[in-house]
Amino acid sequence: MLTSITEILNLLKKYGKVEKIHKDTYVVEISPGKVRELCEILHWKLNGHFSVTVGSDERPVNGYFGVYHVFLLDKQKLSVIVHVKVNPVTLKIPSITPIIPGANWHEREAHDFFGIFFEEHPNLERLILPYDWPEGIHPLRKDVNVRELRYKLLKKETGLVVEKKAEEEYIVPIGPYHPALHEPEYFELYVEGEKIVDARYKGFHVHRGIEKVAEERLTINQVPFIAERICGICGYTHNVAYCQAVENAARIDVPLRAKYIRSILLEIERVHSHLLWFGVLFHLLGFDTGFMMTWLVREKIMDLAEILTGNRKNYGMNLVGGVRRDINEEKIKLSLETLDYVEYKLRKILDKMLKLKEITSRTKEIGLLSREEARKLSVVGPVARASGISTDVRRYHPYAAYSELEFKVPVYDAGDVYSRALVRYDEIFESISMLKQLLKNIPKGDLTAENVKVPEYRKGLGLTEAPRGENVHLVITGRENKVYRWRPRAPSYNNVPSTLVMLKGEKLADAPAIIASIDPCFSCTDHVVVIDVRTNVKQVLRLKEIARGK
Amino acid sequence: MSLKLFRRSLWVYHLNSGSCNGCDIEVLNIFTPYHDVERLGIKLVASPRHADVIVFTGPITRETLPKAIRAFFAVPEPKAVVAVGSCACGGGIWYDSYAVIGGIEAFYRILENYYKIRLPLTVYVPGCPPKPEAIIYGIAVLRGVLKQKQRKTYFLEKEVPALTRDFIVNLEKYMKQEGGINIGKK
Amino acid sequence: MKTPRIDIFKEALKTGVVTKKYPFEPVEAPEGFRGKPSIDFEKCIGCEACVNICPPNALSVEIDTKRGIKRVMLFLGRCIFCGRCQDVCPTEAIKLSREFELSSLNSKDLYQIVELKMAKCKICGRYYATVRQILFTAKNVPKDQRPLLLLCDECRSKVSAKHISYARW
Repeated sequence: MLTSITEILNLLKKYGKVEKIHKDTYVVEISPGKVRELCEILHWKLNGHFSVTVGSDERPVNGYFGVYHVFLLDKQKLSVIVHVKVNPVTLKIPSITPIIPGANWHEREAHDFFGIFFEEHPNLERLILPYDWPEGIHPLRKDVNVRELRYKLLKKETGLVVEKKAEEEYIVPIGPYHPALHEPEYFELYVEGEKIVDARYKGFHVHRGIEKVAEERLTINQVPFIAERICGICGYTHNVAYCQAVENAARIDVPLRAKYIRSILLEIERVHSHLLWFGVLFHLLGFDTGFMMTWLVREKIMDLAEILTGNRKNYGMNLVGGVRRDINEEKIKLSLETLDYVEYKLRKILDKMLKLKEITSRTKEIGLLSREEARKLSVVGPVARASGISTDVRRYHPYAAYSELEFKVPVYDAGDVYSRALVRYDEIFESISMLKQLLKNIPKGDLTAENVKVPEYRKGLGLTEAPRGENVHLVITGRENKVYRWRPRAPSYNNVPSTLVMLKGEKLADAPAIIASIDPCFSCTDHVVVIDVRTNVKQVLRLKEIARGK
Repeated sequence: MSLKLFRRSLWVYHLNSGSCNGCDIEVLNIFTPYHDVERLGIKLVASPRHADVIVFTGPITRETLPKAIRAFFAVPEPKAVVAVGSCACGGGIWYDSYAVIGGIEAFYRILENYYKIRLPLTVYVPGCPPKPEAIIYGIAVLRGVLKQKQRKTYFLEKEVPALTRDFIVNLEKYMKQEGGINIGKK
Repeated sequence: MKTPRIDIFKEALKTGVVTKKYPFEPVEAPEGFRGKPSIDFEKCIGCEACVNICPPNALSVEIDTKRGIKRVMLFLGRCIFCGRCQDVCPTEAIKLSREFELSSLNSKDLYQIVELKMAKCKICGRYYATVRQILFTAKNVPKDQRPLLLLCDECRSKVSAKHISYARW
């Protein structure tokens, strides 16, 4: 068993050239033949976990396409990026999905965007691009001008497409929509009577082409604002992750006060997000009192965020090198008062709600995800923690002000919906205690670093722990104050495939709670296409109807 | 023009057309205790067939476009549209992305071209995301309860001093004489 | 075992009524709220600093070469209310207010347009900058250098290259 950092570095050196890009982050450049061997060692033998695969078009720089597999080694507090150069003519590299099933979507995405073929990938179909997107055009390649393409596509194809789609939807009369907060993604469940035998997921309705916009139009200091709009619930974590990636790449030292302010806002966001999740869970289980009560408490947190940052969501507080607004004494006092109220109120109601029989009977031992499955799919955040994997970026790869705080990482072993709720319950109170430490010990100092200069073609990795799990942002800086390649990876990207495992063998009535239990950031957890295997008749149920047991 | 047709409660169908979730949550938020719009008779319904008003959030991605069109036609006439958030109003920060149609205006253009319909009454609620109060205000404007405050402003500079060599060199002197040209910090 | 249901009910009762009476009673946004940005027509000099920094391009600029007019447009339908324009404006012409009631029944009401007159270059006769921008710059420039501001960028570089030997700007 290899443990120390030097041993791991020696091992990596056997495979290829090792380069340190910033603190605790190493890039290994290896030949395509050795990818599988190294990835297997990193993920399975060294007990790290696969985090993200990033494709990149580097033909203007060095004549190759690049593929980066990012691995996080929690024990050693290391991040290892495996870099493979892909020949631009053959465009083939071996797939790592047979070894790490969690890489499935990542590789399909790289195939969509760059046209890289992953050999021996089980299912290299289109994942992200819209259904009417023409074959053979890969939008993130540098020689594709999508802006021209966009208008052409709009003029020609929209009308046709609508009719074709409309026909399909006559069979499925109600579209993939539902009025709650959820987004337009849907799951197809294959059922035998009440039992789910298989599930399929169709998502990426919300693909907005964010990476291309950022690479083509925006400058380095404008990207934080679009990063924040990846997600309206946990956007600030993306914002911080991006800024950290650029700061790491450019070796900018962020002042301590700015780090504290970032941590404060991140924790406020976590509390609001977890409360939102509790509300949604209670709503889906038909317990609307719980929904109203948790959202009532959450409103206090939202008001607090509004006072601290100037907006209820999408705080807009970060720039590369620091933060934009200060928190004064008055605001600190107000925050502490609000937190006391929230803690008091939650202690009164939340654990009592979790003890209710109607909650426990519908969450305990439902939606099981074993530790092995969780490792295979490389799930992150509360879902992993509920399956007995202790992973937390705040603890193992500390960023912002987390290295100076005392906190616990709650871990439960049961792997069911109830333990996911318990993890989040514990995390809320951990966050509140962290917030109190942060607010009391906030140091004096500047808000932004003095010299913000970003050099060309440097790589940086930014990690944050979002309410749903780890966020990974890989940034390659470009010329003229632009980003050359930016790949944000949201936690739900790793977690959503695990729902398909959880759903198998469960009752149809439990599907909503299971899908909601991973807190899918971008997905519509409602719309489920039910296909009865025996009669092969399709009908669409909305989650509410399923929740009623129809 | 306010909605004379909807004298009583408005039933709202919420359609997420590629939003980041920020607006969705604020839309949901107006049904929770602090804002509770059910006291005004506004109700969130599950099917577009039951709705009077359709709420769009998000810049309308290519993937959701056909579904949005289906849902739009499923809402019976007379209907009204509320575009919540800057994305729905004019495309927001995504307005020129390849995967995005670009807000409700572009959506209407497609409807006009392919279906030749009369466009419904539309309320634009800018904000990123709008406060829950702002969404309630938007609905109040739609109902004609409150008056619209936001107006287009247009300003054309009428007179400018002739830029001569003498004028620009002795700027301070001329500015005093003419009572000051209003530029810059004072 | 006693069911906790009754405790939850008691707690709900204790909370009482929290609903805001909003559409019938006004609500104020807290201090520092990033609401509606508005351009002060008297102060705007058409320097395009805000146009360059705006992440969603809600602020845009058009130059009408026939009429000699620079048009600065702010479209709230794209604005993300980040307040970067306020940070960079040299004359404090654009500011974010606390106003959030921006709904309108017509998308045209979401526009703010400022049209400023431009000056012609004294050598090539091309429109190159607004009059206000030139005057604003002139204030911060020593008197002997000011005439150079009456030329467009290209002509200025030519002229200053010619005269650099003796003028010593």
